This record gives sequence, C-alpha cells and structure tokens, in this order.
Amino acid sequence: MADKEATVYIIDLGHSMGEKHSGRKESNLDFSMRYVWDKISTTVAASRKTWTIGVIGLRTDETNNTLDENGLEGYENISVLQEIGPMSMSALRELRSEIKVSKTKQGDAISAIVLASSMIEDFTKKLKYNRKIILVTDGKGAMDADSLDEVTEKLNDVGIELIVIGVDFDDPDYGFKEEDKPKLKKKNEEILSRLVSQCKKGVYGTMAQAVEELSVPRIKPVRPFKSYDGPLTLGDPETYPNAMSIAVERYFKTKLAHPPSASTVVVNNAPSRSQVDDGDEAIEDNGNGLGAVRQVRAYKVNDPDAPGGKRDVDFDSLERGYEYGRTVVPISDMDESITNLQTKKSFTILGFIPFSSYEPHLSMGEAGVIVAQKFNEKAELALSSLVNALYELQSYAVARYVNKDNQKPFLHLLIPDPKLESEADCLFDVPLPFAEDIRSYQFPPLDKVVTVEGTVLRTHRLLPTPDLSKAMSDLVDAMDLSKFGKDDDGNPTEYAPIDETYNPTIHRINQAIRHRAVHPEEPLQPPAEILLRFSKPPDELVDQVKKQIDILIKKADVKKVPPKVKGKRKRETVKPISGLDVDALLGQAKRTKIDPENAIPEFKQTLGAATEVKAIEEATKQMGDIVCTLIRESFADINYDRAAAHLGVMREELIALEEPDLYNNFLRDLKKKIYQKELDGDRMDMWRGKIIAGGLGLITDQELEVSSITEAEAKKFEK
Amino acid sequence: MAWGGNSERRDEGDDPEDAEEELDEANYKTQKDAVLFAIDVSKSMAKPPPGEGGKRKGDTDSALSAALKCAYQLMQQRIISQPRDMMGVLLFGTEKSKFRDEDGRSGYPHCYLFQDLDIPSAEDVKALRALVEGDDEDLQDILKPAKETVQMSNVLFCANQIFTTNAPNFGSRRLFIITDNDDPHAGDKQTRSAAAVRAKDLYDLGVVIELFPISHEDKPFELSKFYEDIVYTDPATDQDLKDNVQTARSGDGLTLLNSLVSNINSKQTPKRSYFSGMAFDIAPGLRITVKGYQVIHRQEKQRSCYVWMEGETPQLAAGETTKLDADARIVEKSEVKKAYKFGGEYVYFNPEELKDLKKFGDPCLRIIGFKNRSLLPTWASVKKSTFIFPSEEDYVGSTRVFSALWQKMLKDRKMALAWHIARKNANPILVAILASGTPDDEQTGTPFLPAGLWLYPLPFADDVRNVDLPVTARCSDGLTDQMRPIVKNLQLPKGMYNPTKYPNPSLQWHYRILQAMALEEEVPESLDDPTIPKYKAIAKRVGGYIEEWSEALAAEAKGLMGSRAVKREMEEDDDDERPAKRTKAAPKVKAGSQKLAGSMTNAQLKLAVENDTLKKMTVAELKDVLASKGVSTAGKKAELVEKLEQWVEDNV
Repeated sequence: MADKEATVYIIDLGHSMGEKHSGRKESNLDFSMRYVWDKISTTVAASRKTWTIGVIGLRTDETNNTLDENGLEGYENISVLQEIGPMSMSALRELRSEIKVSKTKQGDAISAIVLASSMIEDFTKKLKYNRKIILVTDGKGAMDADSLDEVTEKLNDVGIELIVIGVDFDDPDYGFKEEDKPKLKKKNEEILSRLVSQCKKGVYGTMAQAVEELSVPRIKPVRPFKSYDGPLTLGDPETYPNAMSIAVERYFKTKLAHPPSASTVVVNNAPSRSQVDDGDEAIEDNGNGLGAVRQVRAYKVNDPDAPGGKRDVDFDSLERGYEYGRTVVPISDMDESITNLQTKKSFTILGFIPFSSYEPHLSMGEAGVIVAQKFNEKAELALSSLVNALYELQSYAVARYVNKDNQKPFLHLLIPDPKLESEADCLFDVPLPFAEDIRSYQFPPLDKVVTVEGTVLRTHRLLPTPDLSKAMSDLVDAMDLSKFGKDDDGNPTEYAPIDETYNPTIHRINQAIRHRAVHPEEPLQPPAEILLRFSKPPDELVDQVKKQIDILIKKADVKKVPPKVKGKRKRETVKPISGLDVDALLGQAKRTKIDPENAIPEFKQTLGAATEVKAIEEATKQMGDIVCTLIRESFADINYDRAAAHLGVMREELIALEEPDLYNNFLRDLKKKIYQKELDGDRMDMWRGKIIAGGLGLITDQELEVSSITEAEAKKFEK
Repeated sequence: MAWGGNSERRDEGDDPEDAEEELDEANYKTQKDAVLFAIDVSKSMAKPPPGEGGKRKGDTDSALSAALKCAYQLMQQRIISQPRDMMGVLLFGTEKSKFRDEDGRSGYPHCYLFQDLDIPSAEDVKALRALVEGDDEDLQDILKPAKETVQMSNVLFCANQIFTTNAPNFGSRRLFIITDNDDPHAGDKQTRSAAAVRAKDLYDLGVVIELFPISHEDKPFELSKFYEDIVYTDPATDQDLKDNVQTARSGDGLTLLNSLVSNINSKQTPKRSYFSGMAFDIAPGLRITVKGYQVIHRQEKQRSCYVWMEGETPQLAAGETTKLDADARIVEKSEVKKAYKFGGEYVYFNPEELKDLKKFGDPCLRIIGFKNRSLLPTWASVKKSTFIFPSEEDYVGSTRVFSALWQKMLKDRKMALAWHIARKNANPILVAILASGTPDDEQTGTPFLPAGLWLYPLPFADDVRNVDLPVTARCSDGLTDQMRPIVKNLQLPKGMYNPTKYPNPSLQWHYRILQAMALEEEVPESLDDPTIPKYKAIAKRVGGYIEEWSEALAAEAKGLMGSRAVKREMEEDDDDERPAKRTKAAPKVKAGSQKLAGSMTNAQLKLAVENDTLKKMTVAELKDVLASKGVSTAGKKAELVEKLEQWVEDNV
C-alpha cells in the first residue's frame, strides 16, 4: 500500500499576487495556482482516503486560525481554508471559491509554516505519514526571521518536508534571475532559502520551473505483483532424483497501463441523491446531475408461436454451455470443470535454444522477471549458475508455465540477465505462441518475382533497382538514432529510450480531466508538447539528412494513384489465367433477362456489356424487382442477407458507372414500400438492420462527385 | 480463489484490442469465411496407392480418402479456430445425385451435396468421420463413381447456388476443388465453354476458386488443359504476385495426405487484413501504403453461453442488455453520456470533446529514425506484433521501396522506431519495425512466419514495472561451468522454438471434451500434450550432469549460508553495541526481535528448527517469516510453526 500522506498548502493571497509580472498575461496568483491545482487535483484523482490535504491562505483579509484564537501574536491575516482531510470534488469546488486575491499586505509566511506544522503534528500524531508543507508565495510580505532555528528544529522533529516555490524567485540552477528585484523580496528570498537549507528535507525553487515541469507526465507507481512463487524445474523432481529445482519468484516486468475509461451516465430526473453504479461504489451526485447507468440482461429464445418469433425466458431456466460448431453443449455447473484442463502449478523447462533462433516479434505479450526466492542461498546460487551459463552459451530456455493449479499452461521464453554491479541475477520471460496462434497466411517473396509460368525475375518494377537500394541504405544509416540523444552530461546516447516515452492517451486524458475538474467552464487544452515529441522524426535530424531523403525520393519514384481513378475506372475485362475471353462466350449465349437465381453475376455481366444508359436502367430495374421479391417472400428475416448482398452489388456497380441516381431512386422507392408495408408485413428490420446499418444508404457526393445528395440529406433520409 | 489468478486471466481474455479486431466500418458484408469442398469422386481418385509395402510405405490413402481426411481435419480445426465460419462438402462425379432435400433426380446430376454449407455441427463431424472411416456401407454407396462424366458447369453452378443462398453476405467465399482430372471435357469444346461461363459467374459472385490438384506418379496435372479457364487470380493481389497452384503428390518422403494437408492448410484461413491503405511515411516526403495482418493472434476458446433447457432440444438463449437509470427507467441510447469518475464525482465532456481527447491524427505509420536491433531489450514486450506488407493500391512503387527497406534492415540488423495509429481513433503507440527473413533462409529463426516487416509494439514508460530486486549472491564460475553441459545437451529440435509443434493444451482439451459430449462419446482421460517436457529423456541426457551440479551447489550454498550468518551476527552485535567477539558461536534466533523476523536467513531458520525455538516466536513474527517465503499465513500458531518447519525441511 502506498504510504499515507499529509500535505498542507500555504497559498499567498496577498494583494501583490494580483499583479502581473515578467511578461505573463496571467496574475501571479493564477500562475501559481496552475501548479497548486495540478498537485491538488492529482490527489483528488487518486481518490485515496489516506492522502490528506490541508490549505492555508496567507495574507488574507480575515484571520482564522487556532493559534491566533489561542491568543498568540503574529498569526494575523492567516486563514485555514481547509483543515487536513481527504480531498473530494466538493471540497475542491469550495476551495476554488476561496482562492481570491485579498486587499492586504499583512501576513507572515514563517508564521503560516509554524501553523501548518502544528496542524500536521496534530493530525498525524506519531503515525507513519509522508508529511509535507508546500509554500507558494511572491515573497512580498513582511517576514519575522527571528525564530528560524526553532522552526526548522520543529520541522525536522516532526519529519516534515518543506517545499518553497516562489514567483520569480532567483534560481541560478534553473537559470532565472529577476531584474530590479525589490529589496524586501530579495531579503525574503534569502530567508526562505536559508530556512529550506536548514531542513533535513526541503526543496526551494522558482515557480516558472515548477509550472514547466507540470507537463512532464507522472507515472502512477504500482506495487510489484508476484505472479508466481514456487519451483523452476528441469526434469521431474517427483519421479527422478536427478532433476533440478530452483525456488523462484516471478513478478511483472511490463504490464500495459490503460487510459481511464469513461463511465456511461445519464442525466438524472431526480437530482441530489447518491447513486450506486456497477462497481457498487457510491458516487455522489454533483451539480451536473449525472448518474450511473445500470445494465439489466434479458434472455430470449426462438419460438415460432410467439409474436416476432422470439420470447423471453426466465434466467433460472438457463444452463451454462459452450458451442461446438453450431451444436450447443450444455454443461451443468458441476461439469464445468471437466472442460478445463487439470494442471498443477509449475514452471518447468522443456529445453534450450540459441539467441540467434528467436525473433522478438514472436512474443505474445507482457514480460515477467524471475528472481531467486528471498533469503534462500541455495536458490540464489542455483539461479545464478543457470543465468550465467545461459548467457555464456548465448541461449534462451523454453519453459511451460502454470501460474496456479488448474490454470491454463503457457510456454514462455526465459531470457538470461546476468547481474551488473549491485543487481540481482535474474531471468526475464515473455510468452510464446502455440500452434493455433499462428495463421498460415501466404505472401509472395519480396526479393524476387515469380511469374505465372514459374520464371524467377530479379529485375522488375516491384523490385528495387541497385540505385534505390543504395539510396535506402544511405538514408537508414543517416537517420540513425542510436547516438542521437544527449544524456544529462551532454554525451551522445540513444534517442527515445523507453523510459522517456509516455503513453500520449493516458496522460492527455488525465490532464484534461484534472483541468476540467478545476476549471469546468474552460475549453479543452491541446495535448502537452512532450506527448507528441515522438510523433515525427526530430527536426534537427531531418535537416541533417535532407540530401539523402531527396535522393531516395527521386530513386523511389513513387506515384500516388489519383483518387478519381481508384475503383471508379471502367472495369477492365477480367480473364481467367488462360486469358480466355469469357465475355465473348457470354455474348453468344446472350443473357437478356437476369435470372433471379444467378442475379449478381448476370447483373454485373449485363452492365459490363451495356453500351447505353438505357440498358443500365433496364438491368437496375430488374435487379430492383429481384430485391423486392426477395424481401416480400422472406419468411421472417431469412432472405434479408441475400437481399442486402444484391443491394450492395447494385450500389457498388452503379457507383462505378457513375449512375448514383439510379440507385438512389430505387432506394427511395424501396423505403416507401417498406414503410407502407407493401412487402408483406413489417420489414423494418431489413431497413434498419441491413440497409442502414450495412452502409447501403443513399450514394452521397462524398462518395461520388456527380451525386446530388449531400451527407446531411443522406443522414436525414436514414432517420 | 486468489485474486492474483484473476488478474492474469483478465489480461489474457479481455484485451480491448480483441474487440477492436472485430470492429469494422458499417458494411453489409460480414467478416466471415465460407468454404465449400468440391471433391472429385472418380475411379482414379478412389484407386489405392500403388507400390504398397514398397519404398512408399505408409502411403495408404487413395486420393479420395486423402481428400476426405483433409476435409474432416479442416472441419475439426475450423470449429476451434473459426467457430463462426461455414463449411460444406460437395462430392461430384458420383453415381447418386443429391441437392438439399430433394433426392434422386436433382437439377445437378452426379453432384452429391454431402453436407450443406453451414457452421459445422457435431452431427456433421460425426457423419464426415463415418464417411472417412468407410465402415458404413450405405455411405460407401455414395462414393460410387458415375459411369458417365459429370458436367463441370453443373458442379460450378451447384456451388454458385449453395453460396448464393447460404452465405450471401460473407466477406470471404471459397470453393476448394480437389481433383486428379486435369481434362474433364477433353475434346468437347461446348461443355468446356459452359464451364468457363459458370466459372466467370462464380468470379462475379465473389467466390474464389482454389484448386488443389492431385497428380499421380506417371502423369503430371496440366493446368492448361482445362483449369486455366476456370481459375482466376485473386483481384486483390497484384497480377504478377499471385500465389502458385501447388500440386499434391506422394513422394519425396511425403505421403499424398501430408502433401494435400499442407497445401490446404496454407489456405485454411482467408487472408483478412487488420488494416489496409495505411500510410507508411518512411521519411518526410516519402510515403507508401501497406496492409497489416494479424499473423500471430492468441486463439482463445469461445466464451460460454446460456442454454435454454426446457424446450425439445437445448437452445441458445440470446442475451439483450437494457440500460436503466437510478429510478429503473429504461434509458434510450440517445440519453447516454460519457463521463469520467474523479474524486467521487463525474467529470463530463461532450461527445465532440471526447472525440477530440482521443484524436492524435489519422491512422499512420511514421518512421522517426533507425536504431541497431541490439538496442531493443528482449523484455520490452507488451503485445503481439502485426505483420505489414506493401500494397500498390494508393501509391505505385510501394512494393519496391518496401523491399529496399526490408533488405537493408535485414542485412544490417537495423530496426526502425515509428509512431503508429492502427485505426481511426485508435490510441497512438510507438513500435519497433523489425524485418523477418524469408522462410527458406537458413539464417531466419522463424521459418514458419512470412518474410516482411513486423510492427512490434514497444512499452511506454507507463508500462514498465520497476521491481526492486534484492542484491543476490553470484555463484562461482565453477558452478556455472557445471551448468553448461546441461544447457548444451538439451537443445530443442533443430535448435529453435517452432510453435507449430506445440498445440495449446487447454484449448485442445476443451474442444476434445466438447466434441465427446456433443457426440455423446466417451470422454478421453488424458491428452497428448507436447508442452510437457520429456522427463525421461531429460533424466537420461542430463541427469548425471544435474547430479554433479546439485552436489556442487549444496556445498557452495552451505558456504554462503555460513558466511552470511557470520556477517549477520556481526551486524546484530553492532546493533546491540556489543563487541564482535562471539563470531564463532552459532547464531541464535532472538525471540522478540521483531524487526529481524521477516529477514531471518535460512541458516537461522534451520538452526531454530533444530533447537526447537520456533515456538518461542510470536504469531506476528511467524507470519512475517512465512509471508517472506511466500507461504500462506493463515492458521493458528501451532499450524504456523508446523508450516514453517515444513518449509525449512523442503527448502533448506
């Protein structure tokens, strides 16, 4: 479990915080609050009861704190805006209304720190907490620096980390210096800097840097998850005495992080009540009146006697089962286990393969890390010898992995990772595919062309010329990123290593949620620059390789197929391998009327032979009649798919011939027939389920320029 | 049930990507496959193989029997791997004729529709097996060849009707013709033309004819005699890049059955692309197009369903979901909004904003640079890879550019780093583009995979778990040396992992049991599972080495335990601010020193067991130790002590 936290924010609300400085368009307070709100909303997002927050307003018009009430001096113009406690959305909203620039200059930051530390002390007592005070100020209020030593002593005693972030504070490390700094501010900066340096744990910085760093995504720490704990064996120790068994533990090494998923909600009719959602987690209704949606499942079976051919059945009358082809095999709950393979928790090696015979694209997913059992010397040494022997022999192991009794077995590749200084010898493992997981797709070779006759060609328009190969090779070498990055000391290093790449979706959504929660009225912000950093080659690199790119483009001679031609050209006569002109044979047979049994081929062939629009019209009419007949004669929905297939072909062919009106007119007519129930009863399922859902609506001008139907008209037609 | 197991299962099954794969733009065509086997039943097909007992022993199947076995095998495979797809079996050249319900005189003489095109049922499997086994005489009657020749035009039109009615909207429809007759209508020009016309009909209907010719030893199968008028090249592939028709024959150490099985298996799944027309930016200003294929995909068993048991036969119950609000009022689809939970409330975005949030541009694959392949850590794996192959559809010249890139990356062992959005509104990811060698290349590690480029999804920093590993002892070089012969002598066959040799045991078992239950047969007791190591062979080959290694390990471990105990003792003494004098005395477990309990060394534990001092530890301490050893901490004190003693006995 993550540690408990108690953090008190001290926010300077003095009159001077309303000013704008250093060319910024926002006030110092708004600027500072960007940092504060981001921090606070991150805590809210975590929704942890043990992450607590308190907020103190410094230099407020009023005075409201216990130390002042107790009659102590020097605590004027300091207000506790929120006592330490868990942070909710409603608390955040309340807080928002309190963060306003005051009219006063009075209020001592050191006193506020003392107040904060006593709040933390009272709240956390002697319990284990991460304690923190975050002071945000422009350093323009008067400070009493007499008791600094006592303050630091107390902070260190209670174990509080002090973070001071100042607006336009000088920070040589970051490279910021404010010109014409007022004398008072200069003195205050010195006091605060000294205070922080005296603390055991402390951070002192300038606001500009803090705000800049907000855009660097923070990765949610996850507790290591032990997925296996038991022996790694070679051979069967239960049967053979000379088998190997090493006590190991396996943890996840990689695990896909998922973006937060949105819940389905609905506007409540009766607002202000608490809701229960799928997760049985109480969700408070807030002002926007959104409530969770519950899902109920009902089950239906076919019943020819029931209206609509289906009827509801009671859930209790159902049994679980599986499908074997189209045969349903019911399996009572008792039998359930028999289709599950009985397995014993185990991790056992099948054999070894050289590094060279494995390709990373064979991996099926997330990796694990295998270490020796803790405090087990024998296991440590045994695993160490396996890891080192594998590494020396440049070999992987293949092992069968069952993480718990009666779980599915998997095959994993074990990768040796011998230790460097002060690390552990360990194995990594990735899952491998089974026979069923490989689809036997065939592809033609990429380095030669084999003709129909079986001749092998090495020179062909589909193969690169030596010039093109050379240009490609030069580009690949020039665009190398292996040394393009810079490490902290400015030495060349790998560009875009894994630990510098952040999942754009996760951080974009989290950023937007936090922003929306604090500023409900503001529009979405664009994604942070850092999230798009690896969406294109670095500009600097592109400039360097300009020459190679130009040569490659020239040698590649790639031509874009004009959009007009694609798919819309008059169909070429298709011939079988022999090149026999079947259309000529057809011509002799002279099919004048489309046979409903063979409608699709004959419709296509008729259109192919058509020389004038009239013939197209005639064929379309016949096809339309066939579609209507199919629907009319359909028992329930039995012919619907076939009718849709006919319609689909009509649509495609008439688009290809640029005759959208023929199709659109027929469809309008069909709609009328269906709506007026002229095709033997209710055929709305055909209309909605097949035609509209199947993308067989009106042909729009988006699809075909000559169409007079706009996208909007087509949408309207479908409603 | 421990929740650990569940969490693993979750990511195996509920991968959002899986749902994504099913999704496609609105289309009246379904992403399904229908295969109709058309098997020639002629005298020569039924002729037993020649030279029995001779050099080709084991080849006991006639061509017909091999064809039927192939169909049977494919049917069983398809139930597992393509449970929604259809299959049918049409025999032609039979004495008997049958089409659908009508018997005797059908519109298609000498065509016998043995199994109509449908998703196979348990009965279909049973019937086909009976036909294959050939014990049933009534069934053998079906396989009697006709005296006169069948008209191929009839066979083709029969197939046409079967596809038109049973699979009208299937995205993939294929007719598998298995025959040994390369010239069914020798000399009869008119029947030949009629067949060509019907073949064109099938082409226009969108049915692909796959020919599986069988040649007998003396006589090659000549396509040009007839079938070149029947078979069309797949319109989707480039004219010059078509797959060649493979002829099945026995010989070269391969039986006819194996040869046919391998030809048919290569066409088993219709080639479905995962994405097409993908813009592939190799460098700024140089764009080609590629198609993506899920060549590797974890095959899962089908989800369980609900069966209604009160009717005459068990019937599948279709579930329907209704959405209700807090007042149990039915919510219309239009009312539903999406919001994120945040600090106990909902944070709302309107639909345009939601779209905008996930929008990072159009689908694309954009290289941002190249790296040496050695910079890809082997553990950096999160998801299966996608295979890409060039397509000339949008950019003419894509193939040659792709080929040049592939050759360069293969030769110099380079990988490309690329930004990739697989589909509209898909989340952007970073991929490493890796080149795979041609299957016949000796160097390649994956001869079972096609040659081309692979999009290997890289983990983001967010996906990497940083596990703090305790520093462990390194073994001596001697111990490593003793491990070496074990590794050397247990290489997998051909020194590679070939997935085709390892069927998924849980999947096979599941369907084996279902099949037995569906056919009301006896449930098998065990499964032939090649993923279980060959223990006997291991013991024989490396047992001796393991023994030697074990002895050396025991000695080395004892030494390490000793030196650690000494070190710990010293530290403890330091802690207690006592002079480090009693280093030779055996360390004692200090009852009450709680901070140490969890980190007691095995040596200390062993000693504690021997001195019977475990009982002196508190329950909290015992639990601490047990937890650190990964043993369950449930139970009373006596049980805990017993568990710990057991553990020490087993492990120390």
